[in-house]
Amino acid sequence: MSNRRITRRDFLKVAAVTPIAGALVPGLKGVQSAQKAEPLKKVRVVLVRDKNALDASRRHNPEVIQKMLDDAVTTLLGENDPIKAWKMLIKPNDIVGIKTNVWNYIPTGEAVEQALKRRVMDAGVPEDSISIDDRGVLVNPIFKKATALVNARPARSHHWAGMGSCIKNYITFVPVPSDYHPDTCSNLATIWYLRQVKDRTRLNVLVMLTPLFHGIGPHHYSKEYTWEYKGLIVSRDPVAADSTGLRILQAKRRQYFGEDRPMQPTPHHIFLADAKHHLGVSNPDQIELVKLGWDEDILI
Amino acid sequence: MAEDLKNQERDRASLVPREILGWKALEDQTFDPKTIFNYIDGGGEVYRAYNFKSLLARRFEREGKSALIVDFFDMGSSSDAFGVFTHDLEGENMGIGQGSTYKGGLLSFWEGRFFVSVYAEEETEETKEAVMALGQEIASAIPEQGEKPALLSLLPAKNLDEKNIHYFHNHLILNYHFYVSNENILLLDQQTEAALALYREKGERINLLLIRYPEAKKAEQAYQSFTQAYMPDAKEPGRVKTEDNKWTAAKIKSNLLAVVFNAPSEALAEEMIRNVVRK
Repeated sequence: MSNRRITRRDFLKVAAVTPIAGALVPGLKGVQSAQKAEPLKKVRVVLVRDKNALDASRRHNPEVIQKMLDDAVTTLLGENDPIKAWKMLIKPNDIVGIKTNVWNYIPTGEAVEQALKRRVMDAGVPEDSISIDDRGVLVNPIFKKATALVNARPARSHHWAGMGSCIKNYITFVPVPSDYHPDTCSNLATIWYLRQVKDRTRLNVLVMLTPLFHGIGPHHYSKEYTWEYKGLIVSRDPVAADSTGLRILQAKRRQYFGEDRPMQPTPHHIFLADAKHHLGVSNPDQIELVKLGWDEDILI
Repeated sequence: MAEDLKNQERDRASLVPREILGWKALEDQTFDPKTIFNYIDGGGEVYRAYNFKSLLARRFEREGKSALIVDFFDMGSSSDAFGVFTHDLEGENMGIGQGSTYKGGLLSFWEGRFFVSVYAEEETEETKEAVMALGQEIASAIPEQGEKPALLSLLPAKNLDEKNIHYFHNHLILNYHFYVSNENILLLDQQTEAALALYREKGERINLLLIRYPEAKKAEQAYQSFTQAYMPDAKEPGRVKTEDNKWTAAKIKSNLLAVVFNAPSEALAEEMIRNVVRK
């Protein structure tokens, strides 16, 4: 898809061959494709869940989360030993920025941040070459000279981008975030081609411990619209991770509302990150989804 | 000038109580269309799209209880206060102000030129009681009432879902509720008035978009722009069967443009358009 006008009808046309579009525009069920599907090269995404990831007060359980992350990364890379797996991602001389998210209602959380930091250190990176940051990345000396980024954020609905996604998590790498607001943040993927970010991301973690599937009011939050999914989605491809998370949020909305209610606004930045900006793949047919652990109410 | 603004700010602040059922106010924060992103990030675009003038944010705390937050928006006009209220219509009408909804700890209402959100960070019986009391006090303190936009009276009543009418100006909000295009193919701007309404007919959900432009010439340009971009394959002027086997139809009358989306048949699309034009 080139840099051209896109209408609702374009989503209708691609709905059958790109099912993610069905999560963007309502009423697409039953649209038939006239095209014969070609064999596709698949991108691996790991969804790991553990019933004990949270305690009764929804506090994150650090030991369980470390194990979930290890299981996901080893499965993602096909290497049984977590430290060896991390050494495939990070070199000892890397300078590593762990891009977190500090949104006050559902932050990434210290358990995930520290689990990532521990494994980056296990890969041989000294502690003083690692930083965890969100809104300060543009002035953070480690992030300014980072050779590797690890991207971790919670999945949630978002009042202007449709979904708070791995793709969107890099918005703090631009000085004026509102520059990316047009067409409800449709071109967020372009941030990933900026000098400070381009080709540096080694891993994406979409935190699905207590996702927000719907938002209300100026603060776009109500606990009523969160649930204890107790999962992490891990991939090297941010678009594939987001596309998978979006399908789960969409399924939860269907379950909660009793009808097919697409996200508002539509998180088409995920679809366009694939179709227009070629950052990764959004089409579930191109994603090899590996599910680990607890599978009750998995929704995908 | 600066003194006037300060006085206005003080007047607005006086409409919100500083204490309610044991919750006490912390220091106020105020935001304008440029600074609102510092408070609610991208969500600020919604209020900017409705021409908001200022926001007073007041947080209330009580030991051992969840915080309450009042966001008090001066929208500048009752049309825009009503419009921004229609942005999020979920919830139960609590009979507060000129229209209200409550859901999940959040009370929203409009009164006069003001839009008010009262929010409990955790919903309990106690916080709900405090949210309602705060809402009642604020609504009673606002000295003015406002009119709903006259454009709404042009929506045909038959099969209209009254709880699903959104009033707005620009294509950002249109796309929020019903994605049409990444480009502004309907030539909407802050001077246009638009209503997006849902109609239910035998289980089908049909969307009617009604737009009033400042002048007829602009409506004609918008019709041309929309039909060229959205229905270049139309066999009849202003109507097309889309890829989901539904019908889209568009028609202008003077400075009004009506578009029906998702009609299950060509005949129904035509009928709905006729009903608008007849009004």
